[in-house]
Amino acid sequence: MKVVKDRYRPNEIRDAYLFLLPMLLFAVIFILLPVLGTLVTSLFREVSFLPSRFSGLDNYLRLTTDRHFWQSIRFTLLFVGVSVAAELFFGMVLALVLNESVPGRGFVRVAVLVPWAIPIAVSARMWELIFNFDYGVVNFIVLQLGLADAPINWLGSATGAFGAIVISDVWKTTPFMTIILLAGLAAIPQDLYKQAMVDGTTFIQRFFYITLPLLRPVLVVALLFRTIDAVRIFDLIYVLTGGGPGGGTTSLSLYAFKYYTSGDFGYGSAISLVVFLVAGLLAVFYIRITGFREVVK
Amino acid sequence: MTSIKLYILVMLAVLLTGCADHERKLTFWIGGAPQEVDYWESLVDEFERTSGITVDLIRQPSSTDQRKQGLVISMAAEQPDPDVFLMDIVWLQQFFQSGWLQPLDPFWGRAGFSIAPFFRDVVDTVDRFAGHYYALPVFIDIGLLYYRKDLLNKYGYSGPPLTWRELLQQASEIQAGERSHNPGFNGFLWQGAQYEGLVCTFLEFSASNGGGIMLDGQVRLNRGANAVALGFMQDLIRKYGISPLNTYTDMREEEVRRAFQRGDALFERNWLYAWRLHQKNGSAVKGKIGMTALPQFEEGRSVAALGGWHIGISRHSDMPGRAWELVRYILSHSSQKKLVLNLGWYPGRSDIYTDPEVLKKMPYAGLLQEIFSRVVTRPNLPYYDQVSAVIQRAVNGCLAGKQPPDAALRRMQSEIDHIEDIYAKKK
Repeated sequence: MKVVKDRYRPNEIRDAYLFLLPMLLFAVIFILLPVLGTLVTSLFREVSFLPSRFSGLDNYLRLTTDRHFWQSIRFTLLFVGVSVAAELFFGMVLALVLNESVPGRGFVRVAVLVPWAIPIAVSARMWELIFNFDYGVVNFIVLQLGLADAPINWLGSATGAFGAIVISDVWKTTPFMTIILLAGLAAIPQDLYKQAMVDGTTFIQRFFYITLPLLRPVLVVALLFRTIDAVRIFDLIYVLTGGGPGGGTTSLSLYAFKYYTSGDFGYGSAISLVVFLVAGLLAVFYIRITGFREVVK
Repeated sequence: MTSIKLYILVMLAVLLTGCADHERKLTFWIGGAPQEVDYWESLVDEFERTSGITVDLIRQPSSTDQRKQGLVISMAAEQPDPDVFLMDIVWLQQFFQSGWLQPLDPFWGRAGFSIAPFFRDVVDTVDRFAGHYYALPVFIDIGLLYYRKDLLNKYGYSGPPLTWRELLQQASEIQAGERSHNPGFNGFLWQGAQYEGLVCTFLEFSASNGGGIMLDGQVRLNRGANAVALGFMQDLIRKYGISPLNTYTDMREEEVRRAFQRGDALFERNWLYAWRLHQKNGSAVKGKIGMTALPQFEEGRSVAALGGWHIGISRHSDMPGRAWELVRYILSHSSQKKLVLNLGWYPGRSDIYTDPEVLKKMPYAGLLQEIFSRVVTRPNLPYYDQVSAVIQRAVNGCLAGKQPPDAALRRMQSEIDHIEDIYAKKK
């Protein structure tokens, strides 16, 4: 703060605050207030067909004994773990490949982005057709290759549906990971690699001792974005499985949504707040274990 | 100083953009398949011409869940729009009890409107709340059995099955025969995916065995008759194999209809709307099918689940008088007749079914009148959504082989008891 005061004139500082104000207002109106509103609603019995009254932590107590809520937490966390790990792996591989000067690199870079540009509802519908029992291409390939005698009901078992959701999500969001990592790779000075090559290092050594440490800030940001996004997963599942079979693929957001439509805004808000807390805790966890703060400084 | 002026100017410009004043119009929310939307557009055009009232027709998504979500948000926010909207039969209790609807009977006296032509059983069961009518049926729907006449003849059967046992026997034999040249052929297709339609099929199977969801105004699922019916549903897929394995993942109305229409099934459980589509040019089963009441268990009776859409006026409407004009127009004899003639759907007014012009287009009106008298309704509860979610989950899990029927029913009952503890209190 002292540095700022020394370096700028008072009216410059005031102008700077004025120009920051819209952004702060934006954050308060569109982020802080809705979260607080959801928190307040979650403390009420706010059911459309019953008189509204303050109920303290009743909605949260109800969560503790709600089997389907715990099931959706388990599902959501498992989904986040598996899909973000897979996206990180494929995103890294693609970024490393695209960072080398291979012929047609510009074209491939654009092509890699295509899944990211398709609306989620559309890509979910597409994957639903791919996994379709009767005329899906996955069953066609499996049958042609003789891997199974009869068509497999991919979306019919909890494991199959989980796999289908993860594959669709990885396909859709790996490009995001790739692009961010690619930007990070481009910022690493080539001299370091040349020097390391003179020293006779292997590709693996260069990756672990140069690329990975220097990529860390970008990596943490990419992981943070993807993790928070994955915790909130809704649209893909809504279209692909609707939360089935037997409620086995109901994510937290989808579970909250079902209560909003049925008129129980209080309970729906309590679940939404859990989504917020889970995302927040994971973000803090990432920043802690990666020493992100020191890296940025 | 100039930077402050510039700042204020920019902020004002941002704030004022988009604050245009809306012209007040009667707003009517509709949705559904394209042909339904076309029907509403032409009907509203006529209404505008004859009444001089301008109507803003808003198309909602075709998915029922999304239509409900849009309405719940507007209603909970006490928005003046929509003024008039359509509701699925199972939303009605929630909408009445949430205080989102206006009673319609106060409008009747001065408008010379009578409720007499409407199906008494329907309006008194689902549209009346605390002595007033809050909604009226625009069209009604029932579950039916569609069958392939040509195939039954080919294998020497004189008619469609009356009991589930007969259905099983016919389907097993014909499926085995047809699969020799059409490996994708199935005996019996029905709605088994985890969605609202599954509650209807479950209700039909269980009620046709003397069971059901409600007993004396209470949810009573854990009954022997229901266990037998649910076991039979499971066996159709897993033991007898006359219903395909993807019944419990993919089979909703349209999946069932398309497969039957391709000629890939002997029997189909579907709603009334499928008839007209099956009989269209280009359908592989055109002229080869029949429609009848659903079969029953030996101890039970044949039933049909009741569906359909009802119309109501929002409590927060800023022009209820004009809204009623539109509702009255939509429910008039001539509009309801157009519903049958143009769309092939089934009006909530019983006097349409005796109209000679309609009878010519609908020779099976007698059969429908007869089935309308033994419809079963899903529970009339404001928290029906939660009850339905429990039933969907447990029945679907049972069809997927995750648990036996009696365990599934016990679980449903205890979960619903818990839901009633939360929502059934009045204070």
